[in-house]
Amino acid sequence: MNGEPILPPLKPIPIKDRISVAYVEKGNVDVLDGAFVVVDKNGIRTHIPVGSLVCIMLEPGTRVSHAAVVLASRVGCLLIWVGQSGVRLYSAGQPGGARADRLLYQAKLALDDETRLKVVRKMYEMRFKEKPPERRSIEQLRGIEAVRVRKMYELFARQYGVKWIHRNYDYTEWESGDVPNRCLSSATACLYGVTEAAILAAGYAPAVGFIHTGKPQSFVYDIADLFKFETVVPMAFRIASKNPKEPEREVRLACRDAFRQSRLLRRIIPTIEQVLSAGGLPFPGRPDESIAPAIPNKEVIGDAGHRG
Amino acid sequence: MLVIVVENAPPRLRGRLAIWLLEVRAGVYVGNVTRRVREMIWDTVIKGIEDGNAVMAWNTNTESGFDFVTCGANRREPVEIDGLKLVSFLPEISQDGEADSL
Repeated sequence: MNGEPILPPLKPIPIKDRISVAYVEKGNVDVLDGAFVVVDKNGIRTHIPVGSLVCIMLEPGTRVSHAAVVLASRVGCLLIWVGQSGVRLYSAGQPGGARADRLLYQAKLALDDETRLKVVRKMYEMRFKEKPPERRSIEQLRGIEAVRVRKMYELFARQYGVKWIHRNYDYTEWESGDVPNRCLSSATACLYGVTEAAILAAGYAPAVGFIHTGKPQSFVYDIADLFKFETVVPMAFRIASKNPKEPEREVRLACRDAFRQSRLLRRIIPTIEQVLSAGGLPFPGRPDESIAPAIPNKEVIGDAGHRG
Repeated sequence: MLVIVVENAPPRLRGRLAIWLLEVRAGVYVGNVTRRVREMIWDTVIKGIEDGNAVMAWNTNTESGFDFVTCGANRREPVEIDGLKLVSFLPEISQDGEADSL
């Protein structure tokens, strides 16, 4: 330290106060004078307001410096490495499970058959705006859901005049998918990115799911499904119906509008809390014998799961 | 809507402001943030401005529809006239301490 005045430490701001997502396609992602920049091969710098973004999708053709990753994690912006057209490869920047109390609460709900069923029922209730039939197992509910979802896809396809065969998830052969499927995959990738960032920011674990299980992003799929059919699905079909030249680009632009109109970022964390509280378990307090951390946590303006 | 203009600010402060806001011209930052974030950003400006000066304006529920704060020395000084916030443009001070007739 040379005695010069220093800036206050960087802290994350709440997810709900941010803008959703930015895609970086080509260039070196680096830090210059403390700002997050993308430098292309001609030396053109573009500043990215990393602290005001929920997540940044890094596409093939980007290189990220160590300093840039440090900065993204300081401001709680999730970096997501995606393949061409948003097929996800890898993600980092914000380690999960920042809050042990929330992680344990989520795990406890997921481990118990009774509470898990309650959470799943709540998820279906929120999705379909009506209570699911009584005395059904999760397996049966999943079957009912699958039928409804298929019908909804068909309904949207008819509504927008799109030729629809079935949902095709084959992400290994991207180009093989038809236009509506490509639009849907691109749009859901966008939604999953934002959802994962919100789950991490709220202090929960993306892998501990209720309807979906066994994937690193099971809980992301659970939560994203609550918003999918009011936001990205109709939008994807609308775009597919226009038979666009660059479906992915159109979809991304429309995603931003869809997220804004549905006030997604404002609703997503409260919705997570609401769904989990349907399990009926009290939020765990601190055990009596536990001792407080030696260095107390400072008060921050970010979300609970943000590392301040 | 939030606008911050900095003059003679150290590069690290300008870089820091670009974390949350968009620098649309040299030293001019634009964004849309909540009150808490705005206060956090202004705190950063005050701590990092050193010998420079800065002004921050944002829309709020006043009669003029906006409010602003400043820090550091500048010939434009905020003045309050009957609850209305205006700006006075101070004359240039010449070497002998007398006000320039401009």
